Amino acid sequence: MDYLDGLIVIVGLYVILAASFNLIIGYGGLVSIAHPVFFALGAYASAILSRDLALPVPLAMLGGTAVALAASIALALPSLRVSGDYLLIASIGFQLGVLEVIKNVRFTGGSSGFINIPPFLIRDFGRTSYVVLVLAATAGVIFLVRWIARSDYGRAMSAMRDDELAFASVGRNAMWMKIAIFGLGSGLAGLAGALYAHYFRFVTPEQFELLQSAAILTMVVVGGMRTTWGPVVGALLLEALPQALAFLNLPPSVLGPIQGLLFTGLVLVFMFFRPQGLVPAQDAWRGARAAKESR
Amino acid sequence: MGEVLTVRGLNKSFGGIVVARNVDLTLQSGRVVGLIGPNGAGKTSLFNLISGVVKPDSGTVSLDGAPLDRLKFHQRIHRGLSRTWQHVRLFPSLSVLDNLLIATREYPGERIVNVLFGRRRLKEHDKVAREQATDVLGRMGLANVADALVTDLPYGQQKLVGVARALMGEAKCLLLDEPMAGVEGASYAAMQRVVREVADRGAAVCVVEHNVAFVRDLCDEGIFMFAGAIMARGSVAELIGDPQLTELYFGH
Repeated sequence: MDYLDGLIVIVGLYVILAASFNLIIGYGGLVSIAHPVFFALGAYASAILSRDLALPVPLAMLGGTAVALAASIALALPSLRVSGDYLLIASIGFQLGVLEVIKNVRFTGGSSGFINIPPFLIRDFGRTSYVVLVLAATAGVIFLVRWIARSDYGRAMSAMRDDELAFASVGRNAMWMKIAIFGLGSGLAGLAGALYAHYFRFVTPEQFELLQSAAILTMVVVGGMRTTWGPVVGALLLEALPQALAFLNLPPSVLGPIQGLLFTGLVLVFMFFRPQGLVPAQDAWRGARAAKESR
Repeated sequence: MGEVLTVRGLNKSFGGIVVARNVDLTLQSGRVVGLIGPNGAGKTSLFNLISGVVKPDSGTVSLDGAPLDRLKFHQRIHRGLSRTWQHVRLFPSLSVLDNLLIATREYPGERIVNVLFGRRRLKEHDKVAREQATDVLGRMGLANVADALVTDLPYGQQKLVGVARALMGEAKCLLLDEPMAGVEGASYAAMQRVVREVADRGAAVCVVEHNVAFVRDLCDEGIFMFAGAIMARGSVAELIGDPQLTELYFGH
């Protein structure tokens, strides 16, 4: 059962990562690849706050989320002031840089990883309680993103993606919207990181490399950008496939590249045969009210 | 008749091409001014400079006496400037109504904090904005297409939606870039009537337009631009009748 619990937790966390990345790249139209690094920052910050600074775990989790949010705003502010394109370049540098720092400073445990992270709920209430917590958070994030996309903010995001100059010409500030979208999406990735840390109780920098960026991007693209259920389907599919591969008992040196091939291969296949993803998005923005009225 | 927009000594060149040559311009409340001149005279560039899409090499722009020079495009709009685009630039993924709802002077929904914690404020704003949008669409004769996607409309109606959207901010100064290009029939009269109404309510309006009949019927005065400079200002009939300007316009 431990294996199944772990699987549900990891799939749930990837759903959070894919749904929050969908907010950034799908709804916000912001091209970044650094999502795993905010996952890492949330995990490491929560781990350090709870183990070394003895903060209660729920507070440490909030702290981890806040660190990811603050770091993402620090990254987005200078790059988005220049132009949207710089965010991609800056995000690559940021991801590589932060992981290098994590590998080379003592208080993160270096490249061998951070161990003995305090557990949460599991000792008192069993593993299932943590699974319930993760599932609740996952559902919360899915519906939060859906709610935002259908709100007045969603209308603004849609307009901003359509035509940024026209968006400014009606008096709207695209830059702050982008920073807020990036901050919120990255903060949610930080929350996923914190939830990861206190379940598996061990994190290493290798978990957050570029392959993770590719995996999360693939989940969103293959599942269907700008949809509520696309990233969920994508995360389920792409987390289930590697688990199935793991049963083949291949050595890690072969398994890694095969997973990489799988992700890029899927993106290529979908690009040609189903560019809209498994769950296709509607072209037109439909707010909650409009949807209600048309029913 | 108060001065609403004041432009002083505006200069701009791209390499060797001068798009604004020491331009002075005032627009007054309640008056519609037609900006005419041949292609490449710098009419749209002047709109871009006034609205802050393009930064001038020198010169100042002020609205109601307050300088706009340090403000960005969207901030100038927020201060009470409004403009349309020659090629419409509507939001294709939104309905006609949503194109208007996004364009109110204040839009609390652009702050995520309001979406998460200020539901009441959003609701109140939405109610007022919907009434305003319905009113504007009605005046433009677009009430029956409010729920259509803008991409499903013929080009002439899209132009009207562009102007309707620009009216949502209740601007003090309205810059219309070729509102009539591609517009015909009933829309022609609607456009005339609505622009006149906006001026009568106290806005200063400037229209770039090649449709001479439209300019003559609507505008209180005309300004003739050529090679980035303002050559003449007077009644539209005077400008049209001036043989020298006609020669510049047709390039003989």
